[in-house]
Parts: sequence; structure tokens; C-alpha cells
Amino acid sequence: MNNAKMWLVVKPTVGIPLFLSAVAVGSFAVHVAVLSNTTWVADFLSGKPLGAGATAALPLPADGTAKVAFVEGGAAAIGQQVLVILPDGTTARAVIGAPAGSATLN
Amino acid sequence: MSAHDHDKVWPTGLTLKEAEEVHSYLIDGTRVFGAIALLAHILVAATTPWLG
Repeated sequence: MNNAKMWLVVKPTVGIPLFLSAVAVGSFAVHVAVLSNTTWVADFLSGKPLGAGATAALPLPADGTAKVAFVEGGAAAIGQQVLVILPDGTTARAVIGAPAGSATLN
Repeated sequence: MSAHDHDKVWPTGLTLKEAEEVHSYLIDGTRVFGAIALLAHILVAATTPWLG
């Protein structure tokens, strides 16, 4: 019993709650750090398959590239508005126009 | 440490024998906690992307 003598100078009513609190706070902090630095715990808690977060966290394309979202099933037509996600994450609306030198879209 | 020291009541109100008894419970509790935590971490490492 190497360290038993500590209880001769530290009251167990102080030392034991202190010890248990240190363990609790330490393990809580580590788990919070894991939760806030990974995506798979959130995926698991929201019912997604583990590892799905990896594809959702794909890096943005190179600077200057904008993404356009389409409504599935809806044919793009001249004059249709589309949502554009700009490289900085902001969104804008764009209106589809006929390409230069072409009368139809498709 | 003499026989007298063994019966001495220290400032915390404990004798050496009592201090060793308190400590033994603390060690036992730590071992049980550690064993459960070890099992939990093995299961997490095997079933989640934890640690890659």
C-alpha cells in the first residue's frame, strides 16, 4: 500500500471527493473533445451510418468554383432560377439563359 | 515505525491501519473502474471509426 499514508494528512472526506471529481472532470473533458473534433459521433446519434460524415466533409473545390443545386426531376429551362453556392459559402440565385450561339438548352 | 506509531491517531483522525483500509477501497474502486473503461474502449475501438 504505497500511498495509504496520504490519508493520515489528507482527510478522506476531502481527498476522495476531490479524486473522484478529478476523474469525472477529466474524462468528461476528453469525451467533449472527441465529440467536438469528429463527425462520426454526431452521425451515429442522428442515425446515419458510421463514416457517412467523411463524404459530407469533402473539401470545397478550388477557389473561384461555384456549386449549383438542381431540383431533381425538374428539367432545367431557359429562365429557370437555380441556387448557386459561392466559394465562400454564401448563396445566390442565378437565372438560366441560353448559351451563346444556341437556341435551345440541353 | 514503532508499535506506538501504529496506534497513533493522526491529524485526519485516522490510524495507519484505518488509512490503509480507506486506501484499499480506493484502489479496488479504481481497478473496477479501469477494467470497465478498458472494456468500453476496446469495444469502441472495434466498432467505430475512433482512432481512424
